[in-house]
Amino acid sequence: MASLPKRIIKETERLVLDPVPGINAVPHEDNLRYFQVTIEGPQQSPYEDGVFELELFLPDDYPMEAPKVRFLTKIYHPNIDRLGRICLDVLKANWSPALQIRTVLLSVQALLASPNPNDPLANDVAEDWLKHEDEAIAKAREWTKQYASRK
Amino acid sequence: MNGTDGEHEQSHERFAKKRFFSEELETNGDDLNEQLENQDSFLFQAPENGNVIGSDGPVEPQELQDMIPDLSGSQAEKLLARTDVDDDRNTRISSAVSLYFEQQRKPERTERKERVSPAVRLSNVLDSRSSSGQGKKIRDYGERLPKKVKPSVQWRRFIGSIQVSALATRPTIKPLKYGSELRITKSCGSEVSSKLYYANGRKRASMANFVRLFDVGLGREVGRVPEEVAKVLFPLVDSDELDFEATMIYCNNRRLSVGDSFIVQLDCFLTSALFDNFSDMLERGTDIFNGEKRGFTQNVVENEGELRMKARRLALLSLFDQVQLQPVVLRTESSPEHTPEATEVIDLDGIDGDQNLPEKDAIQPSQMQEDVLNVNQLKSLYKATLSMESSKHLPETEPNPEVFKLILRRYQKQGLTWLLRREREFDEMPNTSSSSEDIDGDMMNPLWKQFRWPKNLSWASQKINSIDLDSQSDEEFFYANLHTGEFSQAKPVLKSLLKGGILADEMGLGKTISILSMILTVPFDKKFCDMRTVEGAEATEDAPFDILQSQTLDRTKPYAAKTTLVIVPMSLLSQWQQEFEKSASGPDAHCEIYYGGNTGSLRTLLTKTKKPPMMLLTTYGTVQHEWSRLVNKSTGYLEYDTAGLFSVDFFRIVIDEGHTIRNRNTRTSKSLMDLSSSRRWILTGTPIINRLDDLYSLVKFMRLEPWSQVGYWKTFVSEPFEKKNYKSAFDVVSSILEPVILRRTKQMRDADGNRLVELPPKEVIIERVSFNKHEDVLYKYFLNRAENSVREGLDRGDLLKKYSTILVHILRLRQVCCHADLLGSQDENDEDLAGNKMLGETFSAEKAVSNETAATLAISESEADAIISNVRDKYPDEEQYRKLECSICTSEPIDPVTQVVFTECGHAFCEMCIIEYIRFQSERHQNIKCPNCRSEVDPKRLVAIKEMPNKELTLILYDTGSKSSKITSLMKSLKRLQDGCPGEQVVVFSQFSSFMDIMEKELSASFSKSELKVYKFDGRLSMKERSKVLQEFAEKDLTKLKVLLLSLKAGGVGLNLTCASRAYMMDPWWSPSLEDQAIDRIHRIGQVNDVKVVRFIMEHSIEEKMLRIQERKRTLGEAVDADEDERRKRRIEEIQTLFE
Repeated sequence: MASLPKRIIKETERLVLDPVPGINAVPHEDNLRYFQVTIEGPQQSPYEDGVFELELFLPDDYPMEAPKVRFLTKIYHPNIDRLGRICLDVLKANWSPALQIRTVLLSVQALLASPNPNDPLANDVAEDWLKHEDEAIAKAREWTKQYASRK
Repeated sequence: MNGTDGEHEQSHERFAKKRFFSEELETNGDDLNEQLENQDSFLFQAPENGNVIGSDGPVEPQELQDMIPDLSGSQAEKLLARTDVDDDRNTRISSAVSLYFEQQRKPERTERKERVSPAVRLSNVLDSRSSSGQGKKIRDYGERLPKKVKPSVQWRRFIGSIQVSALATRPTIKPLKYGSELRITKSCGSEVSSKLYYANGRKRASMANFVRLFDVGLGREVGRVPEEVAKVLFPLVDSDELDFEATMIYCNNRRLSVGDSFIVQLDCFLTSALFDNFSDMLERGTDIFNGEKRGFTQNVVENEGELRMKARRLALLSLFDQVQLQPVVLRTESSPEHTPEATEVIDLDGIDGDQNLPEKDAIQPSQMQEDVLNVNQLKSLYKATLSMESSKHLPETEPNPEVFKLILRRYQKQGLTWLLRREREFDEMPNTSSSSEDIDGDMMNPLWKQFRWPKNLSWASQKINSIDLDSQSDEEFFYANLHTGEFSQAKPVLKSLLKGGILADEMGLGKTISILSMILTVPFDKKFCDMRTVEGAEATEDAPFDILQSQTLDRTKPYAAKTTLVIVPMSLLSQWQQEFEKSASGPDAHCEIYYGGNTGSLRTLLTKTKKPPMMLLTTYGTVQHEWSRLVNKSTGYLEYDTAGLFSVDFFRIVIDEGHTIRNRNTRTSKSLMDLSSSRRWILTGTPIINRLDDLYSLVKFMRLEPWSQVGYWKTFVSEPFEKKNYKSAFDVVSSILEPVILRRTKQMRDADGNRLVELPPKEVIIERVSFNKHEDVLYKYFLNRAENSVREGLDRGDLLKKYSTILVHILRLRQVCCHADLLGSQDENDEDLAGNKMLGETFSAEKAVSNETAATLAISESEADAIISNVRDKYPDEEQYRKLECSICTSEPIDPVTQVVFTECGHAFCEMCIIEYIRFQSERHQNIKCPNCRSEVDPKRLVAIKEMPNKELTLILYDTGSKSSKITSLMKSLKRLQDGCPGEQVVVFSQFSSFMDIMEKELSASFSKSELKVYKFDGRLSMKERSKVLQEFAEKDLTKLKVLLLSLKAGGVGLNLTCASRAYMMDPWWSPSLEDQAIDRIHRIGQVNDVKVVRFIMEHSIEEKMLRIQERKRTLGEAVDADEDERRKRRIEEIQTLFE
């Protein structure tokens, strides 16, 4: 395997030694660019009490290129599609090499706290969210309980 | 040849005798038998055919003779005596006839002796019509006339016949009798050869005037032979080495008038004298060759004897030609015998005198340029020289651990055996069974040709039951050197007294170690040193002289019997010294470097001191320099040297990278040839670079007789090759080389099937780099100019004339690919352009253009000031510069501080990080925004920190063009490497030493001293600096990345850099093999890690096209470093590829 840039090593060390509350990211044994991530649902959000599993991969061009992040746990969210793909500006056009794994995961956590149905990825969910917000939130809670409850 | 009047008389006597015999044949038969019995051997040769004609007469011997015309009277009687007297006439005749033929099939010596009779043709036989029809079969019969052969002749053997249309010189009353023997006489026995020949061997007078035919029966001259036969006979007829028998076979059956022609069969025999004469010469070994040298060099005016020798040789050649005796072609694949074409090599033109080989050599040196080998030829030649099988089964010799510390690999031990054998040092080997026969093999000297004795078809043997001197031996073959005129019955094995050879193991098999093991095993001339101690005790005078004689011809110089001189390229000097110290042990082993300075004491040091250095290391340059000082400009001879390398006779000389001397006309090559030593070794991985004649220098250096004589080489190698007679040339070359060369390759397997060398895997990656904007503009500008120039050249058809111009264009393009600053830095490493005036002249214009293009991209000064002050405002304290963090690589602080680059918005990054970011974004056509604040970033509006000489830091506008894309890529890769595995050693190759300077500067500036250390090794370093650089680089430091910048030219060969397992090739070279050689610096024995090589290639640039050319060369093969003209031609093709 190609040698790991110092920055990735540094970031990994910091994630382990100084973790963000509610976020856990552990590199895979075989591939230090692949992280297994869990994010706790933010309080006062439909995802409260849920623990969501994600995967994060640092491409070769990282940090020039953004990390690739995807939900593994099923989630009902207007900006997250059925495959777990996330619509988040910092993962796309707004990525900057000054951002890090930690900041990206914080952004994801923030996205859970404040869904943005006006910039949807899952159109049906977003539609529900806009038309019947209560129902949608209830469904999100239900899904959280069903799929993301702490084991 | 030494015909005298006396002999002439003698031959008259013989004729008289013969006539006497013919008259009193029957009565005096016994006398004749006695005489014939005095000869050693009379072999009865069976006639192939005899016409048996029925007859009605009484059964008389005469009748039988009628039937079998060749039969002599006594023979007929004997035959009849053996038939049953009771049988009827016809039965008796037929049984006699069948007896006759049977006997001939299984001849018995005793019977033959009884039946011997003088061989005189009976007139009735000759008169019979039937026999005249046999005209063409008529041959001469030697026994009829028992010549008084010289006592030296024991036997003779038939080699062929010539039908000669002779011209009657005297009228005859009646027709010449069929089968009558004619004597060949020379009527000018007293003539001196020099009157007959010009110095070039051309005949002065017509030989036909001097060679006459004498009729034995008539006892007088009857005719003469045509010129082409006369010129063969003239020099040979008097010699005891050949025997001729002429028989009249056809004269149209009427009396001859002067000028009438008649046909004579001339049977030719070689006699034992011819072979005996040679065996004496054989004893003297190579002296034969020395004796003949003059014939080739032609500098001396030939004396009488030499002229005769030459005439004899040419006559022999012509004779062989006329009797159509051709060398035997052996079809065994291993033995390089002669092909049919090989006979063409024998140049018969010399007879006509219109061509003279040696002179031709002198006149046409340019001819050599034609014979560049193509790949397949080269391959097959290498295959031929690859001593695969024989080397596999060489016994191993373990060097004495007391003198040699290292452990040799198996094939190296075998190599040591071979080396010692070549030096005839059998004492050092475990199995003393080997003798010099093993060393030299039984390769036949290719100067010699093998001939099969032809069946005896002489007239005499065909027509008469001849008992003659013929063929005493059962030997099937004989051997002749038609170039010297020597003959032998034994196979002339190529022998040489040479001690030394060529160790041509492929790169990386440890030639150095092998030769060191030999030097340490046999460090001095034991014989000589023993002798000296004896001499000291007894003061004998003769003995040391003998020894010296066997050592060398150069007896005038003192003998440095304890010193091996090793000549190496300068870059390898210290490596050799280190290897020596690593491997040598024992108090006597020491090595000195002879390089610059200390010349005064060399002779004294080597011959007068008690412990002279065992190994003296010097460089080609040193040798050449001393030689140039000594050589006399006018005569070409060396002045007497009293102190330096040329003042002593070394025990042994080893030249490393011996192909250095491949061009024998270079000063270096000439100087090497003049060093004297009793043992001479060449180490080279590539004995032939591109032409067969490359080998000549090696052969000459080794003084491998006779090939070191240029005439020989020309005649047997160069000229056949030029005449496209490849097989012949290769055969000769491989038979020359086979005994003296040892070549193993990495792919070879030992007797157990294991690879000789197992190396860790090697990975070569091509990393394509794209131009940055500045480079792109610059590159397009130069590309445009170059294309125009090439197009013009092609349109006008004078591309060749513009060659150097175009080379400059290409150079410019290659430079832009590396770094814009290379433009105009006269790079002495680019050999193509050395001394090209255009470089300097046109450069100023180009520089201006490049500045201009840079300027169009730049921004105004006032704007720059504004940007800088904007940044400065954000960092009021200069010290803050040293505490900045780069958000991209998270380095904190950015170190060294000169690496800091600010965006216009005032955010700090490492130079590398932000440049990489800008490149990354712009490649994807994405906006370039500050990673920190997302405001737009204009690459032209970056600010850098400059460290002033007084250590003050100032802000300046960052120049994006200053960093080349390649260097950026290299840095990126190194950075990553430094992150991942600090402590790694890395070699960076480039052809441009100025590029290396830039890299050195930029690498030092971009990495902190604790992270990375840069070393540079190029042609400008002195010997001491070189070894220091290499030594420091090799030291492992786990915290630091060590980078060695290595000039492909200076460090391409020999260096051992196995401490590094990574290499970067900054620019492609024309020749892929040179790059491979460079890579082999790290990928060789001793390398334990996987090797990774990155080659940087600029995308869409001339470099990609160079890759294509390289690929083509790799598949088609290539001739590295062909000479100037050849290379130009090739380049023109390449140029077209480059600009197509």
